[in-house]
Amino acid sequence: MSEEPFIQLNDLHHNYLRGTPLEVIALRGVSMEIYKGESVGIIGRTGAGKSTVVQHFNGLIRPREPGRVIVDGQDLNDPDVDIRRIRQKIGLVFQYPEQQLFERLVGDDIAFGPKKLGMEPADRRERVKWAMDMVGLDFEEFKDRFTFSLSGGEMRKAALAGVMALQPEVLILDESTSGVDPRSRRELLERLSTLHKDYGLMLVFVSPNMDDMAGLVDRIYVMDEGRVVMSGTTRAVFSQPEKLREHGLGVPQVTEVIHELIARGIKVEQIPVTVEEGAEEVWKILNS
Amino acid sequence: MEDFEFLRNITIGQYLPGDSIIHRLDPRTKLLAFLFIVMAVTFSMSYSANIVLVLVTLFLVLLSGISLRYIFSGLKPAVPLIIILAVLQLLFYGDAFTPYGATTRTLFKWGWINITNGSVQLVIVSAMRFVELLFLTSLLTNATTLTGITHGMESLMRPFSRIGVPANELALVMTIALRFVPLLAEQLEIIMKAQASRGADIAYKGKLQFVTTSRQVAVLIVPLFIDAFRRGEDLILAMQARCYIGGRGRSSFVRLKFAGVDYVTCALGLLFSVAMLVFRNYFPF
Repeated sequence: MSEEPFIQLNDLHHNYLRGTPLEVIALRGVSMEIYKGESVGIIGRTGAGKSTVVQHFNGLIRPREPGRVIVDGQDLNDPDVDIRRIRQKIGLVFQYPEQQLFERLVGDDIAFGPKKLGMEPADRRERVKWAMDMVGLDFEEFKDRFTFSLSGGEMRKAALAGVMALQPEVLILDESTSGVDPRSRRELLERLSTLHKDYGLMLVFVSPNMDDMAGLVDRIYVMDEGRVVMSGTTRAVFSQPEKLREHGLGVPQVTEVIHELIARGIKVEQIPVTVEEGAEEVWKILNS
Repeated sequence: MEDFEFLRNITIGQYLPGDSIIHRLDPRTKLLAFLFIVMAVTFSMSYSANIVLVLVTLFLVLLSGISLRYIFSGLKPAVPLIIILAVLQLLFYGDAFTPYGATTRTLFKWGWINITNGSVQLVIVSAMRFVELLFLTSLLTNATTLTGITHGMESLMRPFSRIGVPANELALVMTIALRFVPLLAEQLEIIMKAQASRGADIAYKGKLQFVTTSRQVAVLIVPLFIDAFRRGEDLILAMQARCYIGGRGRSSFVRLKFAGVDYVTCALGLLFSVAMLVFRNYFPF
């Protein structure tokens, strides 16, 4: 990869409640790159620093010297940088994003971002429609529904649409798929995959769930105790279950099964990370 | 740059573990002594009395081993309020207050504005008292666990339950209120970050951000209230699930015990307060 990364993090350090007796070290020197068109996963146990890292991506936390964050050629260390431009380019969806909803009607809530961008009402409507399409909420059916009468899964989609309405180039999901029912979750993951493949949306996916991650991302950073401890392609990372276990993590269940088979002396061509790949490998084993 | 970290500036209500003499005192002692000193602060209007009170407060902070810098940082969010209050007092309270043993002298007069030696003293003394009260409250909660404060309150109020004061319930209400402060601050931080991530102008215009329209506040307040209600409901459910019944006959795991040092501290606190009260008009300036 010779071209410049779209997002570059360099040697980030961060302490929460700095200068108080309750200071906690969150990051101890983290560097990462996200290239154009990529889909990247960040995994790590609770307290590893994942959320702290992604909040550096859109300037919610500014880098502390000597740390550096460069987004699309703009240096976030510079206090005069247009931070709202950055936040428009990089959409960040938090855990339980439904907590950000505040308007009475779903459509108005999703229109909040575009309105803040200064869009005309007609364009805003188009943008809201587009965003709702993207997340799989029917525009006509949902735009005039009461926000707080939606189900949990629908609220989450509405919140995601609220971020998508800014038409970001990168979408960061900080454990945003946890706590929804399996069907909504699968649907959401499929939507994200489509957005990535068809629209070139860059994804940064933070999750403790390996199975969700496997089918969605090209590359993975593993974090522990405020550092990046492993990185590489999804397959490369999931090929090292012992090392992952040292950091309190596991591999997708299907990968676990294949590792178990390898341990019992069965030859496998490549380590599968998704269910489809796993089925293929098992099929080959059965036929040989 | 920590645009969104509120807990940094909220020093009241945050327990800091420690092993100082202040930490080890019986919570009832601390509550009583706190009450006494606050009384002394309330009645002292002279410069010299307030200098004494500031020194006593600082001495107590030093005794507790809590860093002065940390307690000072609690002043930060209150600074705009103190300034506004000071300006109003300075400009319009010229005749409201006369220092004891002095006559009102006008220092500057222009239209409604009337600055006297009285209003100058009022401003300075008010600021000093604000600092004293903030430090004391901060100290009390920094050096006492929440359960300690609750048990202390309950135990101090128990004698009044004969005349119908619901001591247990009041203590519970206070615990919940105090416990929710850091939780709501944390939640507010998350909501602010989420809204900023989708285009809201939060923590972006710099220092004057406390001047905002109600429309901008709704973005934060509506989700915050929904969260507070949700937490409240969860709490009710959890308490009911454990068959919580307040009121009389409830025993407690923690048994408070008064030691010698507690009697001494209470006596000293009372003595100090009474002395400040009795001699309040004898301070030289």
